[in-house]
Amino acid sequence: MSDLIRSLFLTAALAITPVVTSAQAADMTDVNEIVSQSNLAAYYKANDGRSEARMVITDGQGRKQTRQFTILRYDRDDGGDQDFLVAFSRPADVRNTVFMVAKHTTSDDDRWLYLPSLDLVKRISAGDKRTSFVGSHYFYEDVSGRNISEDEHTLVDTTDEHYVVDNTPKDPASVEFSEYRVWIDKANLLPVKIEYKDSAERLYRRVEVLEVKDVQGHPTVTKSRVSDLVSGGMTTMEFRFIKYDVGMDRSVFTERSLRKLPREWLKRPKS
Amino acid sequence: MSLRDRLVSFSMDKPKQVFYLVLALVVLAGLQIPSIQVDTDPENMLPHDQVDRAYHDEVKARFALHDMIVVGVVNETNANGVYNSQTLTDLHSLSSEIQKMDGVVRQDLMALDTVDNISQEGPGSIRFEWMMKMAPQTDAQVTRIQEAVARLPLLQNTLVAEDGKAAAIYIPIESKSESYRLSQEIQTVIDTLDSQNQYYMAGLPVAEDTFGVEMFIQMAISAPLAGLMIFILMWVFFRSFLLITAPMIVAMATVIITMGLLIGQGYTVHIMSSMIPIFLMPIAVVDSVHILSEFADRYRPGENPRKALAEVLSHLFTPMLYTSVTSAVGFASLAFTPIPPVQIFGLHVAVGILLAFILTIIFVPAYIVSLSEKRLAALKDHNIEEDDNSALGRLLVKAGQFSLARAKGLVIGFIALVMVSAYGVSQIQINDNPIRWFKEDHRLRVADTVMNAHFSGTYEAYLVLEKQDLSEERASLKQALTEAAVGDSAVATALSDILAQAENEQFQTYTDNLINVFDEASYNRPEQEALWLKLMAVTEDAQQSAKYFLTPEALEYLDSLQAHLNASELIGKSNGLPTLLKTVYRELNGGDAEQYTLPGNASAAAQTILSYQSSHRPNDLWHMVTPDYRSSVLWLQLKSGDNQDMSQVIELVDRYVAANPLPQGVEANWAGLTYINVVWQDQMVNGMLSSLLSAFAMVLLMMVFLFRSVKIGLLSMLPLTVTILFIYGLIGLIGKDYDMPIAVLSALTLGLSVDFAIHFLERTRAIYRETGKWQLTIEEVYKGPARAISRNAVVVAVGFTPLLFAPLVPYITVGFFLATIMAVSAVVTVLLLPAVMDSIRNKNALFGMKKEKQNV
Repeated sequence: MSDLIRSLFLTAALAITPVVTSAQAADMTDVNEIVSQSNLAAYYKANDGRSEARMVITDGQGRKQTRQFTILRYDRDDGGDQDFLVAFSRPADVRNTVFMVAKHTTSDDDRWLYLPSLDLVKRISAGDKRTSFVGSHYFYEDVSGRNISEDEHTLVDTTDEHYVVDNTPKDPASVEFSEYRVWIDKANLLPVKIEYKDSAERLYRRVEVLEVKDVQGHPTVTKSRVSDLVSGGMTTMEFRFIKYDVGMDRSVFTERSLRKLPREWLKRPKS
Repeated sequence: MSLRDRLVSFSMDKPKQVFYLVLALVVLAGLQIPSIQVDTDPENMLPHDQVDRAYHDEVKARFALHDMIVVGVVNETNANGVYNSQTLTDLHSLSSEIQKMDGVVRQDLMALDTVDNISQEGPGSIRFEWMMKMAPQTDAQVTRIQEAVARLPLLQNTLVAEDGKAAAIYIPIESKSESYRLSQEIQTVIDTLDSQNQYYMAGLPVAEDTFGVEMFIQMAISAPLAGLMIFILMWVFFRSFLLITAPMIVAMATVIITMGLLIGQGYTVHIMSSMIPIFLMPIAVVDSVHILSEFADRYRPGENPRKALAEVLSHLFTPMLYTSVTSAVGFASLAFTPIPPVQIFGLHVAVGILLAFILTIIFVPAYIVSLSEKRLAALKDHNIEEDDNSALGRLLVKAGQFSLARAKGLVIGFIALVMVSAYGVSQIQINDNPIRWFKEDHRLRVADTVMNAHFSGTYEAYLVLEKQDLSEERASLKQALTEAAVGDSAVATALSDILAQAENEQFQTYTDNLINVFDEASYNRPEQEALWLKLMAVTEDAQQSAKYFLTPEALEYLDSLQAHLNASELIGKSNGLPTLLKTVYRELNGGDAEQYTLPGNASAAAQTILSYQSSHRPNDLWHMVTPDYRSSVLWLQLKSGDNQDMSQVIELVDRYVAANPLPQGVEANWAGLTYINVVWQDQMVNGMLSSLLSAFAMVLLMMVFLFRSVKIGLLSMLPLTVTILFIYGLIGLIGKDYDMPIAVLSALTLGLSVDFAIHFLERTRAIYRETGKWQLTIEEVYKGPARAISRNAVVVAVGFTPLLFAPLVPYITVGFFLATIMAVSAVVTVLLLPAVMDSIRNKNALFGMKKEKQNV
């Protein structure tokens, strides 16, 4: 159980075949099994997907900024490597800025950034992934994923609706939290709430699913929120024009696409 | 029956009721005192709604700025300064402990372990990472940190000093009033760390809050000490506990009731108000001493004390009333300053003085009539009338002879003194700095010196540039949209609805909302798609051009201004949006020094910022520019918090702006504590001048009324005028800064030193009217009134001396200058007044001698 924020982020954006779990099914008791299934449920069911995200970043004083971008996702292998491409459309001054990730399960991710007005492609070192995603309260790791093997998981409670799992990092020096707790919806195995605690055991960050909709038969998160409980700021993200299995291939996710956007896949699907 | 007689006979008839009344008042007031609230925040020198203060608060909110405690770690022993693994490990653990403390705004704490490093990692690759996530173990790790810091202008000389000998932790705090507690908690952590490093704490909040704590202790020591001093002095003069008890009770009651009144009304006790007890005590005893001395003179054992008392009071009532009222007026005139704590101080001392007068008039007679005959007889044994051969007596007789013999010379001498003083006044340096309220060897003073020697400065001033509001842009966007839609009636109708709905939002949100609606419409109404997309483009253009502080025009102006400021000796360093942009732009472009430039256009700036926002601390950006990019702030780090230095910085910017006008529609304003201190000081200086002038006019009027003579009225103002000029001339000549306590002194001088002139002139006139002979009058005056004046001057002056031993500088200043004022005004009164009167030919006219008396 680790790619939880990512799953919130991506279940919405990318095609996920719903986990067919009946409410009557017996509760799972093996935490690694729960985490693993939730991870699979969240990320590895479809071949590809596209979605448009609108992010509203609100600071502690209620001042708002908007970011709008389209996400493309492609699975190289089920449960294995994946590609993501995030192309910004708003505000206009960052239009066509592109962020691309080649996610690897057994090695460091590759990350690229393209800044059109500087005509610059930069590789971003795979150092720390828990940095802000373009100034929002989401982290890059919420986009590109946290490896489930990086945390120890403990099932602390099984309620009527949720599996409640505590997670502690194996390498505490690599992260800013000391632990986090995840509430996994038993019906669809989507994580619906995550709360982070710092080294002083204080709750400082919360991720919540605000809305789940059915898209092409998949329960999909269409609205989520990250709250910074220290500053009072928050970022909400809404996903629209979601489409799964659009038929992309790996060639979309090359460095060439940074300068020359794959418009064919980015354009809004006519419903 | 006059009020006076009624009061006096009430107190003599019903001494018990008087005692109970006083006791009740004291108890009632005393009950208020435990709810005391100390306030040493210099910001409160300005009313909450004062325009600069309101702006300062608004700027703090706008850029999410907090007051800060700065902790310095200095290593002088290691060749690499703080760049060794031991020191950095200590710094790391100190910083993490501080982040756990309540009241710390931990997301904005700045230290090596909480900031980001942006660096190159091979060709075409950029790396964002914590500067010092873990304490370094090896020399190589230490060197890597050292090199990284040196590359980042936002950090170099802010987090680590250029000489490498000092590192700093900037601790933003939720409330300034927590800073003393936090500084104690931080000290506790420091005490557990390695002793190879020295640790210092600086920053205005700690200074202010610490001042508050020490002030409280100071009050608890100084006020009783002043009481003790007065007690001892009166013992020396009168050698009678019986005699001393009454003035001491009056003084204590006055102090307790006045402080109870102040605290009970909910006022906070500020630096000035904390001195109220020390001001009131000496002033309060003086009147009772007058009454008791005279009573002891007149009372014959066996007589009814009431007769002697009535005589004494009829004789002393008017001068006592006038000296009290004039002193009260002097203090009350402080209400004309625009500084609330000074107003409260002035008004309460004024009330205290009048209260002391009333208590004297009702309590002392009640006290005397309650004494048994035996005790009254004992009182007589302690006759305070000194004989003319005492040291003081002989000195004063000589002074009288000297004053007359050398009248012309004295007057010329005083004129010369006044001229020198006037020159001195012109040399006065108006300056203040709350850190100087501590003595030089105080740990905070030391920390201030050390930290500012290593770093670019711990004093912050904010220069805020803001572009005018967006109402014009909003109007022209509306017009452009309406014009664009004019061809299609369906779109035009929809547009006007959309515009009306989005109306009330901020421009950024307003345009965001419009864009979203147009976007939606373009998708849902494909037949009008082109037109909706056009409307969207128009709105996006308006939105983008509204982000003023991303445009090259704005950024280049800021950058040049910063370059100019950084070149000045006055400013240690400035940080601003250009610093951040140039640093990130350089790293994006390979990291070479020649790439340290501004992005070429607004979009490039926006994308550079977007890259920066991919760090651990994206919100640091909003300490430099607002999210709508309409306002940007330059952080100036100053090595000195002196108001004079800040004023010079303001002038520097003013001159720059005059030579390089701000872009169209942009204005520049100041904020920050260092600036606020300059504002209230200016207000204080102007306020003091008007308070002094108004007090002078009121006292003059009162004098003219009291003496029923313009000439004597003017004469009575002479000693205090000379004294004030002398004192301020002295301050100018010795180069003592004109600061808050000095400013407050002017009005006090006026109120206190006119007392001497009143007593002196009143008695001189009375004696002259009796004798008609000037020579004889002067001899008499130098035996009686001059001695009383000298004695009172000594009582009051000595009463203030405990202040000299205070650990806090404003108290020492006030103590020293008040003692000087007392001495100088007594000398001036005793020497100058007779000399001046001597040169006035027609003494009969001067003293209003009645015709029949002249003919005797």
